Amino acid sequence: MSARSVPSKNVFIGSLAQIGGCGLFLLTLLGAIPRSFRYVRETLRQLWFVGAMSLTIIMVCGLFIGMVLMLQLYNVLSIFGGTSASGLVVALSVYRELGPVVTALLFAGRAGTSMTAEIGLMRATDQIDAMEMMAVDPIAYVATPRFLAGLIAMPLLCCVFCAMAIFGGHLVGVTWLGIDNGTFWSNMTAVVNVHTDIVNGVLFKSLIFGAVVSLIAVYQGFTTPPTSEGVAYATTRTVVASSIAILALDFVLTAFLT
Amino acid sequence: MTEPVRIPPDDSTLVRVRGLTTVLNGKTIFDQLELDIPRGKVTAIMGPSGTGKTTLLKHITGQMRPDAGQILVDGQNVPELSREALYKLREGIGYLFQNSALLTDFSVFENVAFPLRQHTQLPEVLIRNVVLLKLQAVGLRGAAELMPNELSGGMARRVALARAIVFDPKLILYDEPFVGLDPVALNQVLKLIRTLNQTLGITSVLVAHEMEAVKKVADHVFLIANGKVVAQGDPKTIANDGSPWTRQFFGGEADGPVPFQYPAGDFGQALGFPDAAKRAVK
Repeated sequence: MSARSVPSKNVFIGSLAQIGGCGLFLLTLLGAIPRSFRYVRETLRQLWFVGAMSLTIIMVCGLFIGMVLMLQLYNVLSIFGGTSASGLVVALSVYRELGPVVTALLFAGRAGTSMTAEIGLMRATDQIDAMEMMAVDPIAYVATPRFLAGLIAMPLLCCVFCAMAIFGGHLVGVTWLGIDNGTFWSNMTAVVNVHTDIVNGVLFKSLIFGAVVSLIAVYQGFTTPPTSEGVAYATTRTVVASSIAILALDFVLTAFLT
Repeated sequence: MTEPVRIPPDDSTLVRVRGLTTVLNGKTIFDQLELDIPRGKVTAIMGPSGTGKTTLLKHITGQMRPDAGQILVDGQNVPELSREALYKLREGIGYLFQNSALLTDFSVFENVAFPLRQHTQLPEVLIRNVVLLKLQAVGLRGAAELMPNELSGGMARRVALARAIVFDPKLILYDEPFVGLDPVALNQVLKLIRTLNQTLGITSVLVAHEMEAVKKVADHVFLIANGKVVAQGDPKTIANDGSPWTRQFFGGEADGPVPFQYPAGDFGQALGFPDAAKRAVK
């Protein structure tokens, strides 16, 4: 069964134990992937829940981030007469950093917390034990479909976020502030590199972030003490640990990928 | 780890516990516990709260591993089974949880159908018929489309019972099956446990505190206290066997071998009167 979190008075040792437990849990999850193939419907159901149901918040946030970014850049670049590059800078910022990072943070807040709370409550109400007693592997039936759903959903959500941010930038820059439409798009297509900006920036980073957030969320759910306070703490830990992991990993990935 | 099992399967005993020792958080729950659960009978496990009755059920189903000892179910030593073998064994065991443990995202119908969908390739028509049969047996066929949050505690327990018997298992473990049931539902559940036992020959083990209900349904009673079986026998006569354990437990007396108070320091000191004990002696 799942690894149990090790309570410790020493914060450092406790954190190390959590990371170690999370690593072991990842191995258990990966080992259960072949067994979870028979639960394709459950994986699709989770994909709908964590992916499709997160679309609204991702689209709205992407739109406003693109709009505000364009507004700020226009004001700064206008001092140097470089407003025509605003669209390009919006695109590069979104593809390389803001897209994957903000999508992952939103994903952790929207889908990660609900995964942790749902699994935690299932544990608290003996539903996980009931599955065990019905000879249904809860790792293969509950944990792996959610992990895979997060892994698949994150890159897709990140693409939607980036598209909405570019659209927001276009809305403010071209429609409102009067930047030339041709300049906006031609600068972008000339400089944005598919491999370094889209594949490495958007897809690879968001895939890693999706795996990390889903792993933390599912692990916290499975190891939460079966009490209301335990579920509350586990949900908070999911957001805190995911946010730190996303930002730290973003630095590491950026350093290696550029 | 214990030595591999050498005890051959016994036709008259379905569950055999030998030298079971369990220590949880420094407290000894079982100390060389030994008991045999007869095949095809209804056996009740009784004892004071916190004595490890539910823990014993968890050992029988392999949800918990003991520190030492053997738990043989149909000749297989449960703590030594691989995950696959344990799951295979569990397909033949029904388990009724204390709090029902229904899957909250599924309707009553889907809850009962869940084990069938997971372990069989039965056509939908057959699944529907089996589920409705089981729900009819517990009197809840009309509640098939309700969600678990729309059920009372007693109804949820009966749905869980329908789910536990959906495969007609060879062994059913009931953890506090009578709690929260009104007299009508209680009688129906008692009748159901008896019927399942008599018509299908299912071995039943129930953890319960209600002596009157146990007398009506059980063939054999084990009284567990201090990590051991302290009394066993026929439910109608066990209360009169004369031992201090049965006298205290079935008589509901506070004083006896099992202390009513959880171990604690001096009460007077806890209340802030350090010399209260001395004054009482004077």
